Amino acid sequence: MVSTSLTDEFRSIVGNEWFLDTPEDLATYSYDGFLLEFRPDAVIIPENTDEISKIMRVANREKLNIIPRGAGTNITGTSVARKGGIIMAFHRMNKILEIDPGNMCAVVQPGVVNAELQKEVARYVLMYPPDPASMFVSTIGGNVALNAAGPRGVKYGTTKDYLLGLEVVLPSGEVIKTGGKTFKNVSGYDLTRLMCGSEGTLGIFTEVTVRLVPLPPAKATLQGIFSDLDDAAKTVPAIIGSGIVPTTLELIDRVVLDVIRDYGGAEFSREAEALLLIEVDGEEGLVEAQGERIEKFCRESGAIEVQRASSPEEAERVWQARRTAFGAVARVRPNCIVEDATVPVKRLPDIIRKIVELADKYRLKIGVLAHAGDGNLHPLIMTDLRDKEEMARVDKALEEMYEATIAMGGTLSGEHGIGIAKDRFMTMEFSQSAIDLMRGIKRVFDPNNILNPGSFL
Amino acid sequence: MIPKSIADEFDQCIKCGLCLATCPVCKELLLEKFTPRGKIQLARYYSQGELDLSDHYRDIFAKCLLCGACVTTCPSGVDLNKVFVGMREEIAGKKGLHPGMEEVVRSLLLNYNISDEDNAERGGWRDFLKDLPDHMYQKDRAEVVYFVGCVASFFPMAQTIPQNLVRILESADVDFTILAGEEWCCGFPLIGAGVPGKAREMMEHNLGKVRELGAKMVVFSCPSCHRTWQEYYDTDLGLSHSTQFIERLIGDGVIRLGTVNSTVTYHDPCDLGRNGGVYDAPRQILKSIPGLTLVELENNRAQSVCCGGGGNLEMADSGLSGTVAQKKIEEIQRTGAKTVVTSCQQCVRTIKGRARRQKIDLNVCDITDLVLQALSKD
Repeated sequence: MVSTSLTDEFRSIVGNEWFLDTPEDLATYSYDGFLLEFRPDAVIIPENTDEISKIMRVANREKLNIIPRGAGTNITGTSVARKGGIIMAFHRMNKILEIDPGNMCAVVQPGVVNAELQKEVARYVLMYPPDPASMFVSTIGGNVALNAAGPRGVKYGTTKDYLLGLEVVLPSGEVIKTGGKTFKNVSGYDLTRLMCGSEGTLGIFTEVTVRLVPLPPAKATLQGIFSDLDDAAKTVPAIIGSGIVPTTLELIDRVVLDVIRDYGGAEFSREAEALLLIEVDGEEGLVEAQGERIEKFCRESGAIEVQRASSPEEAERVWQARRTAFGAVARVRPNCIVEDATVPVKRLPDIIRKIVELADKYRLKIGVLAHAGDGNLHPLIMTDLRDKEEMARVDKALEEMYEATIAMGGTLSGEHGIGIAKDRFMTMEFSQSAIDLMRGIKRVFDPNNILNPGSFL
Repeated sequence: MIPKSIADEFDQCIKCGLCLATCPVCKELLLEKFTPRGKIQLARYYSQGELDLSDHYRDIFAKCLLCGACVTTCPSGVDLNKVFVGMREEIAGKKGLHPGMEEVVRSLLLNYNISDEDNAERGGWRDFLKDLPDHMYQKDRAEVVYFVGCVASFFPMAQTIPQNLVRILESADVDFTILAGEEWCCGFPLIGAGVPGKAREMMEHNLGKVRELGAKMVVFSCPSCHRTWQEYYDTDLGLSHSTQFIERLIGDGVIRLGTVNSTVTYHDPCDLGRNGGVYDAPRQILKSIPGLTLVELENNRAQSVCCGGGGNLEMADSGLSGTVAQKKIEEIQRTGAKTVVTSCQQCVRTIKGRARRQKIDLNVCDITDLVLQALSKD
């Protein structure tokens, strides 16, 4: 509960209708894409930097928690009030402030939806590369907070590679600017990138300057079906090592393929143990040549079927299987835990073998969906949260999977973040001194620990 | 209590939020409670006893077009419409009707139509027709019954639709009749208002009347009547939307269309397209008119965005319905076409009404307008 006098104070900043505390509002801001839910004490929806600055001054004075939330599509519980507090939503700060083709950049408010930006910059034959699966809904502010990425990450990298500058409101209410429109900038500590992936714990982004790249004129889409998972996994480093950098290189294993088939999402050969979905983009001639070479690689690695899409419609059909994967998997059991273990690409076959072994050892249904080209796996654990005994097995399997991931030189999260989903594993990846450093950074920015407390630190 | 079949639907929601991308209502209202995901969660919280129904709940669930865009987008295959209609019923049962829908429900129970007029006036649209045959399209027996629907029967802006369609059917020598004063509302607005039980009497009446005439087929110009008959009427009668019927007449060579030199765009009505699966028939009709060029909207077929006239929203929040209509008009204008064709009287009314109020120069016509125009040129 927020006291009446504070409620009045917040209402005087944003206007009555943008401070919400009805049961229906609190309930609908209690979740994001993760499983666990926490009712916040209120929801506040500011319109500009000035209002946010005023809100933060009050929150800091009263030591009230503030949890920034974009579209609530993250799947790590990064935008829920785990320790109570006020959810700050950016629905009203959804304007593209500037598209600057001469400087190959754009300046946007945090609530702009990723796909909206993509659509607008495409008019200038430009592209904003990060393409998380949530791109039609998720916001740029949320993307920066989670350092989001998607299938195009193999070639284009992640949000941090396209982040040039930020305007940030600190927990104290002060406003700072970091970076700007220049691609090169080595002045001082790189505060811009420190903010990227900070999961709402350091500051509130109110203006984001992003880098744009030319929109590639052509692409080729291929699908390779393998009767051996290992053959498929080995094809990935073979392609990457050959000098071709695909835009996208996705792997789907048999468990997920079967689920997609049962769901009616797509048809595959009964012998299929794995599917690779590969896309290259660039100039027309180059794309054509690379497509041919990839086709050859797949066949040489033992693919039983290789299909190269000859039209955008055919490419769309090839993508259909991948797109229906999450939904199809969601219907198998009451809950699905989407993991994000990521390894150096050469270790992909090893980690996939490990996951198959763990599924067997702990009697779990685990499918593997992977942005294989950058070693980013999404093991899908189909389970039932209400079954305590099964959940204990899930926990053990996760622990062993992450131990193996770290031992291979990998990381807990490739693109989803840590949030409240994986905070318990942080000590696997970081030494105590590294964690202490992070906590120290958090204290410098937020001495009263009011910004998204209870998240990964 | 919420039936299990509905609970099964919201249990499948993984809260991914992808439905937010296509919902025309939440794009205007922004807040999570108005998103399809938010409403699904509210249904779940109510069902689990975590939240009580309230006037606020009723208002939230009334702010929905039942357009089905979220159903198409949902990767988990959740039938959100089923949950939304089920919640409207639950709320109406426990908390009473939405105030904006009281009037229409009262009128439906009194007059069997959504207007305030006596149902005997249902055939009034015929008064404006020249050379009316003696039977005035009301026969004792016929192969086909043309079910006109409330909006096209009573609202002057939409009355050209039945006027056109009877001319088209006549020119094809179709043995058809209308029910005139014996046609009652199909029940759709009652389902939308959360009182489907009250629609039962109307459904039985309509079915009985059609049977008495010995008809084998019912033709609808209203996609929502068509959909309601398909989903809620237990019948083996042939049910056909007018676009499907006309497409067949053209295909069989029964009617031939002459040249109309024009560039048009086509708006897929939600209940005909996404919710009824009819996308090709209207396009085939347009294609068979020489001289006509069709420019598709950015969002067409299953991606079509509601005109703002669905789900009884107009009664609950006419302002919101208007803003959704405005977005539709802007999308239409981006095609460069000066004419939008659709195949639903409610879409015609909503789009034309908004364009008039905003003084926007846009020609809005029903597909029967074009067909009749092309017929006379043959």
